[in-house]
Order: sequence, then C-alpha cells, then structure tokens
Amino acid sequence: MINIALPKGRLGEKVYKLFASAGYEFPGILDKGRRLVFENEKLNMRCFWVKPFDVPVYVERGTADIGAAGKDILLERNPDVYELLDLKAGFCRMAVAAKNDFHEDSEKILRVATEFPNIARNYYAGLGREIDVIPLRGSLELAPVLGLSDVIVDIVETGTTLRENNLSVINFIADLSARLIANKSAYKFKGEIINEIIKKLS
Amino acid sequence: MNLLNLKLRPEERAALNLRNLYEACGYSFYRMSRFEEYDFYADKKDFLTSKRILTFTDINGKLMALRPDVTLSIIKHVRLQDGQVKNSDGVQKFYYDEKVYRVPKNADSFREISQAGVECVGRLSDENICEVLELALKSLETVADGRNFVLDIANAGLIAELLDESKNKSEILKCIAAKNIHGLKTLNAPEKIINLLESGEFDEETAKIINSLKNYKDKIKIDYSAVSNLNYYNGLVFRGFIEGVPESILSGGQYDGLLKLMGKKNSRAVGFAVYLDLVRSEKND
Repeated sequence: MINIALPKGRLGEKVYKLFASAGYEFPGILDKGRRLVFENEKLNMRCFWVKPFDVPVYVERGTADIGAAGKDILLERNPDVYELLDLKAGFCRMAVAAKNDFHEDSEKILRVATEFPNIARNYYAGLGREIDVIPLRGSLELAPVLGLSDVIVDIVETGTTLRENNLSVINFIADLSARLIANKSAYKFKGEIINEIIKKLS
Repeated sequence: MNLLNLKLRPEERAALNLRNLYEACGYSFYRMSRFEEYDFYADKKDFLTSKRILTFTDINGKLMALRPDVTLSIIKHVRLQDGQVKNSDGVQKFYYDEKVYRVPKNADSFREISQAGVECVGRLSDENICEVLELALKSLETVADGRNFVLDIANAGLIAELLDESKNKSEILKCIAAKNIHGLKTLNAPEKIINLLESGEFDEETAKIINSLKNYKDKIKIDYSAVSNLNYYNGLVFRGFIEGVPESILSGGQYDGLLKLMGKKNSRAVGFAVYLDLVRSEKND
C-alpha cells in the first residue's frame, strides 16, 4: 500500500490531475464533499487531502509514503525527506516586496511581515541584516500599507495584488513550484513503486 | 528469582540482545559514570548531533552538562588510557547502552533518548571497519525482529573531495541528503555528485569493503543521501532503516577528525548508534 498526501486547494488539484493522467486515479476525489481519504484498491494506493502546510509532516513521520508540497513549505519547514521530483506545477517566486516609495533605513531593524518566518530569517541572516519578524496568516499586503511592517516576504505569482496595493518586488528569494517528496524509510522499502510513479509523472 | 520470566518491553529486549551481540564480538562495556564539564563539549560542537546541551551548575560552581552524546566521552576515555597496557593490535573496542539528552529536530524541548552503540578506536585496519559494518548489519537484524531492513552506505570522503572547491557547499549537501537532483542542477553542483546519487556507484575502497560482507549483500545499498554532515564523518558513513519505522534507526561512520581534534593524530575511529526508542514504532500497513 502506498499512501499519498496531497495539499488541499488549487495546487493539490493541479497535482492530482498529473497523477490522474499518469494512470493513478482516485474516483470521487475532486467532488466537493467532506471525504478526505480515497482508496484505489486495484492500484493498492490511498490518497488523502491535508492542509498544504502539513504535507511534509505526514511524509516525514511516515503516515504518507509520498506527498506533493510547494517548495515554499519545504523551505519553511525543512523536513527530513527526499525531494525526488519537480512537478513543474504552480510556478511562482518567494520575494521581498515593499511600498513603491520605500527607502530602506539600514540603521533601523527591518520589520518583516510574513507567513514564512524561517524563510525570512534565513534570507536576512544570509545578508547579515537584523530583522523583526511579524508573523501573519494572510493579507500580507496590508502590513506595509498600514505601516505594520516595512516589507513583506511572500509568494508572488503574477504580481497583480502587489500592484493594486502600490507595492513592488524589491528582492528575489527563491523559485517555487510543487515538489514530490518521499519518506526516507518508505523509499527504502517501496522504492520500486515510488520510482515508477516518478517515471510516469515526469 | 528467575530473571528470564521478567516481562521486557521491546526496546529493553532489543537493548539486551544488542549487548549480548557486542559482548560476543569482543567489545567491552563502557559506562558513563559521571557528568562531563560543559567546556568539554563546547569546543567539539561539530561532533554533536544536536548543538543544544542541557546544563546545570554543580555544587562547586562548575557548569556541567547532562550527556548529549556518548562517543565524545569514550574517545576521551581512550586518551586517558594512553601509555597504559593496550591491546596488542592497538585497537580498542567499546559498546554502550545509555540515555542521552538532546533536542530532536523540530521538537520544542529536551528529550531523553535511549542509545546503544559501538565505537572502535585506534590503529584501525580495513578489517576493523568491515567488522563494525557487519556489526551494524547484525544490530539492524536483531532490532528488526523479522522485519525487513537495509543499511545505506556512502563515502563521505569522496563527497568532501568533490565539494572542496564549491561555493554553496551547505546547500549542495542539503540537496544530496534530499536526493534533490533538480536542486543540484540549479546549484551547478559537480556532475560527478549527481552521477553518484543517481547511479549508486561506489569507489574501489567501498567496493572492497562491501564485497567482504557477502552474507548481507542484498541488505546493503550504496546511497549517497546518507552523507549530510562533512564536519563529523570523513570516510564511510552509514544509516540503517527498518521497514515500518519512519526514520533511520541506526547511524554511524568514520570520524577520524574528532581524534585529531583531541590530539590523537595517528588514530582512526568508527562507530554507530542504534536509537532504541524507535524499536517500538508502529508498523505501517
């Protein structure tokens, strides 16, 4: 039995379609309902939806043998798993953005609002810049507009939301996309099946 | 009183079986009888799995550490015996069964962790290293108790050589540990490293060692993702897995650098630890 953790939401649905077109189908999985676990007995596989942030947890602890997670979440959580394939879905960037007229005062501690405190800390630690992380759970654009923070560290897809709020990207941090991850131990013992899945997905 | 009638927990039984195994192979029991001073660990942090150390102040005002590790103490112990009667072949073999105190990765507090393991120190020959590898395989077999198991082996020295000139070493190492080929390509990592990860090929030295372990041939895999910390291991590294246990239950390798750091220039060391708390992990499906 292979257990697969997929992230609930748009990215997860994209990834599921990749699985489906590779021959790994789980009937009913895209229906709007409350069911979370779907089994395909013929394939001997089970697929379940979890919160995107939780996919690495399920995989690292072996509840799921493999999973699909955004690179943003992998960078933030730094799980001890194998990252076996770039699924080339959900392309976007991790970037620093600020108000269009922002001028950095290097004498002051930089206030950084973000949903990704570890990514922000690592990035600025690499620059030797002292920061004050302001952890938020969404609507990041509001923070610099209202003066809660100087900059934000966030995912940028098209940049439309930033533009509409008079913000722009000032630094690039990383390219993001969905990745296929595997539990290290599971890969030792179910490696053949996992490799077959990878071959069909790539 | 018949001790054999005692009902042992699986990890207790595993620990006793391992002690029995190590004893039979001529390893002598090492007991950490006291706490080490904090300073002892402070300048050897490269050789600690977790950098956090639980400390307390002793009655004489000295800052002491609750053991984060057993290996360091064993190596220190070996040094204290210098000049005294040694084995004729100049190799000393120890095994231990201790609790250590660490903050596991992603955990938010110190944990007590049960560890059993062996250390083989001195003028090591290839045979000594093979013996320790075989002992690692036998340990896995003992602890697996019928479940499937595998020992990943890699040559950390080879990776260190290939990475010598690279700028983003730590990022490349992270990708190696994650088998992240696409990441290595983006980082412009040496082609040879990508080949090693993909093919599981090995160098002559490693091949010789593996060939000598014929009985376990199908349990050994060359897997360079076992290399994660070049500061600690300099030669062979290995990591053991048991089916159904979600993380590696055995980890070890050659760590000559520590002996150099502790002033034993001509000595080498190899050893491993078994994480006994994982013995009881739930079986997956």
